[in-house]
Amino acid sequence: MNIETRIEGTKTLLTVTGRMDALSAPAFEAACVDLLEKGHMTLVANLAGLEYISSAGLRSILGAAKKLKSAGGSLSFCGLCGMVDEVFRVSGFLKLFKVHASLAQALEE
Amino acid sequence: MKLSLAVRLSALILACTTIIFTLVVGYAYVVSRETIVDLARQNGAALAQATANRINAQFLATAKVTDTVAATLEDADLSQSFLVDLGRRILASNPGIFGTATAFEPQAFTRDQTYFAPYSYRQDSRITSTSLGSEGYNYFAKDWYQLARELNKPIWTEPYYDEGGGDTLMITYSAPFSRRTPRDLQTAGVVTADIDLAWLQKLVSSVQVFSSGYVFLLSRYGAYIAHPDPELIMNETIFTHAEDLGLDTLRNLGREMVTGKAGFSEFSDLPGVGEAYVSYLPLPEERWSLGVVLPKAELLAGVNRVTHVMTGIGLAGFTVLAVVILLLSASITRPLRALTRAARDISTGDLDQELPALGRSDEVGELAASFFSMKASLKAHIASLTAATAARERIESELRIARDIQMGILPKIFPPFPQRPEIDVFATILPAREVGGDLYDFFFLDENRFCFLIGDVSGKGVPAAFFMAVTKTLIKVVAEREPDPGRILAKVNDDLATDNESCMFVTLFLAILDTRDGQVVYANAGHNPPLLLRGGRPPAWIESLEEPMAGAMPEVEYGTGSLKMTAGDTIFLHTDGVGEAMNTHQALFSDARLLETAAIQAGSSATDLIRAVSYAVTNWADGAEQSDDITMLAVRYLGHEKRS
Amino acid sequence: MKIALLTILLSLALCPPAWAKNQRLVLHWLPQAQFAGYLMAEEKGFYAARGVNLTIIPGGPDVGSARMLEEGRADFATMFLSTAVARRGEGMDVVHIGQIVHQSALMLVARTDSDIRRLEDLDGRRVGMWGPDFQIQPRALFQRLGIEVQVVEQAPSMDLFMRGGLDAVSAMWYNEYHTLMSYGLEEGDMRTFFFRDLELNFPEDGLYCLRDTFDRDPAAAQAVALATLDGWAYVFAHPEEALEMIIRRMKGHKIKANRAHQRWMLSRMRDIIEAGNPALRLALTREDYEHAARILREQGFIQTTPGYEDFVMESSP
Repeated sequence: MNIETRIEGTKTLLTVTGRMDALSAPAFEAACVDLLEKGHMTLVANLAGLEYISSAGLRSILGAAKKLKSAGGSLSFCGLCGMVDEVFRVSGFLKLFKVHASLAQALEE
Repeated sequence: MKLSLAVRLSALILACTTIIFTLVVGYAYVVSRETIVDLARQNGAALAQATANRINAQFLATAKVTDTVAATLEDADLSQSFLVDLGRRILASNPGIFGTATAFEPQAFTRDQTYFAPYSYRQDSRITSTSLGSEGYNYFAKDWYQLARELNKPIWTEPYYDEGGGDTLMITYSAPFSRRTPRDLQTAGVVTADIDLAWLQKLVSSVQVFSSGYVFLLSRYGAYIAHPDPELIMNETIFTHAEDLGLDTLRNLGREMVTGKAGFSEFSDLPGVGEAYVSYLPLPEERWSLGVVLPKAELLAGVNRVTHVMTGIGLAGFTVLAVVILLLSASITRPLRALTRAARDISTGDLDQELPALGRSDEVGELAASFFSMKASLKAHIASLTAATAARERIESELRIARDIQMGILPKIFPPFPQRPEIDVFATILPAREVGGDLYDFFFLDENRFCFLIGDVSGKGVPAAFFMAVTKTLIKVVAEREPDPGRILAKVNDDLATDNESCMFVTLFLAILDTRDGQVVYANAGHNPPLLLRGGRPPAWIESLEEPMAGAMPEVEYGTGSLKMTAGDTIFLHTDGVGEAMNTHQALFSDARLLETAAIQAGSSATDLIRAVSYAVTNWADGAEQSDDITMLAVRYLGHEKRS
Repeated sequence: MKIALLTILLSLALCPPAWAKNQRLVLHWLPQAQFAGYLMAEEKGFYAARGVNLTIIPGGPDVGSARMLEEGRADFATMFLSTAVARRGEGMDVVHIGQIVHQSALMLVARTDSDIRRLEDLDGRRVGMWGPDFQIQPRALFQRLGIEVQVVEQAPSMDLFMRGGLDAVSAMWYNEYHTLMSYGLEEGDMRTFFFRDLELNFPEDGLYCLRDTFDRDPAAAQAVALATLDGWAYVFAHPEEALEMIIRRMKGHKIKANRAHQRWMLSRMRDIIEAGNPALRLALTREDYEHAARILREQGFIQTTPGYEDFVMESSP
């Protein structure tokens, strides 16, 4: 799994590609926590390139989101498609998180 | 036989050097010997030849003179005075000749004289003349006359002692002479020249052959003419000598020499010398033979001495070598033995043994240093291992306790409500090796409402077990106050999410069955959908409402679903361990197979259903390790009528 | 005074004084093992033990034992039987008192690598012989075989034979035969003809004295003969000691001597003295005597031979 970080104004964009499974999931949570510690509170994750997500990935996302929330930050998503979109729906993540319609919108809002 | 390294090393090296040294010395000795013997052969032959030449020269001169005289007598005018004068003149001009005679055949000089032999010889420093031949001295039968006469050619006689009674050894050259008669040439007598052999014996005895070697001379019949042992001279022939001593080797030498052969032989027991070589050659003029005796001991003295010295050096060298090797190998084996002892101590667990300090920088020192560091890291490793083992054991014991507690709080008695015939409940949990977070529960909220639930805490270990216990308890507490499953879950979620620093989440499915009419209300927080088995219809999933697992974020709203069970319907709850059970080829049991299995069990009791699924999963796994808990809860509604 | 003189003369005549028994025995050649018995008997005092004070006179080329006996320069002598008979024929009244050698040691030797294979092959060939005494047996042989040989007088050295100048040579089995061996000839190199095998087995060495000597004191003659046998018996029982004695004597006479030759001679003397019977005896049998006498007559060596009783004394006690 590959995570690219880019600062877009007040927001920080994480472009996640590849597979988020039990092995790679902790890296996502770690990246978010790292950014949080550096003072980036508003994170947007672009999952357009993410092919696969497992329950470990979901837990990692939840973990990151909880930490951000308790610090006063936020984590939102965009680019959901395919399997990832399905998983988000079934697991109720759509009801938990803000999912933007597009990347542009994610950076605007 | 266990030999120490030092002894083996010494033995091997010494054996090799011994072999090499022996080969070298042996070869040198053999080659030197051969060379010396070869040289001796050449020198012996040269010496013999030189001596022979000197003897021959004298004899040839004498023979020549006598032959000349015999020739001149053929035509000379013979008178007594002429002959006597002739004799004297021969002596005068030939100092080597001792005496000379001109002996005539019977009646050959004068018809009335049988014997006529004027003879001149040296006496003191004068030349004396006399006449041979009388009744008492029949010279015709004497060898000096008879041999030349009968064989009709010049001859050398065998040596003899002077009849004058002296000890002088003599030899005579005798040449027949002829006289011309009107008819032919007739043998008229013999001319002789006597030679005294004293000079010859002195010559031979003066030849130096080492200090115990010598030259000896044999006559044509092997009689000793010259020899260092005077007893042998003229008393013995080489054959009687051999016969007396019983030496066949000497007899053979005699035969060789007497038959005029030249050669070089080896003897092991030559009388008076012992081991020796003999170089021999013939003196053809008078058919004598000459032998040079070269004593082996003296011949090889030099070589033997050198060999002895070399051997001595070798032996001394060996001793030094042996000592050095022993010391060197001891210096290796001593520290090795010390290290061996230390190793043995360490192997008994005594890591505090002090290693022997060797203070060396070679391979042995390196070995000791490695030993030292090995011991140190062994010690550290064992310490950490012990600590880790202790820690693990602690954890494992805690885990066991956790597991026990966890299992303890799940309802395990079946049938749980025998007095309530409306429902048939069975549940089972197949725990994985690691302590997991699966939970289930069922209880009556009141007389008519039966609550049952299943859940799966994310993660493993003690935290999961603890969280599971907390969740189960929380649900029970909330469900007793709140009738709506959706709201129950919302409340449970809020409580869990608020104090949840450790990010533990739990999926839940909660349902409440009204036993009066079979109405079921349910809510689902991220849990895999249960199966509804209705009689006559294929099993169907109870659709999820797509709501998140509990404990993540607070203030999440959960919806409530509802359905109606008729008698004989079963709701089958399970955790994802069922579908995700892997066999040895890492293929999943899968929901499809679950469906199949459940379909077959349509109409079965809860127990049978669960047992069938359980069996199917176990069969599927086929010995592969179970990674997750497999939890199943089946609730079968039997209808209100049964209760009476 | 005259009575005293007469008494002395009478007693001198009646009692034979000790010095009268000082006898002399002359040997017929130089000292060698051939005479070991006599020399040993003298050394060991066997003659004296038997009451005879005997001195031995060695023989040699200048000493004819028979002549010395005849001239009275010796009382007893050793000689060949044929020599004694010949002397008798010449008028010397010599009598036989003991036969020592009972078998002839005379032989003819040819080389095996020559063409002489049988005695008949010697016809017309050169044969070496010694003086007349030694020619009787060969001449008798050749006459019997009907062959004629060239007789060549041979020197003691055997040199002419060795050099090929003779086709056959005379030899004594105990002496010249071994001389040839001492020149390197092996027994296989020599073809031998023994007269003892050719019906010419003349007994040889014997003891003799003049008849007068015997008549005067037969006991002494017998003593000499018996003591001689004692000597020979001792020699055969102690051969090494005998050898030592012989060598010593020979060296004393400056005669060429070597052990091997003397050892051979001693062994052969034993063969011809015992002649198949280890019991030593002095008797010359009538048969042997008359056989020899007949040959001597036939060869013209002697015209008439004395009768056995007239010649051989030891048969009469």
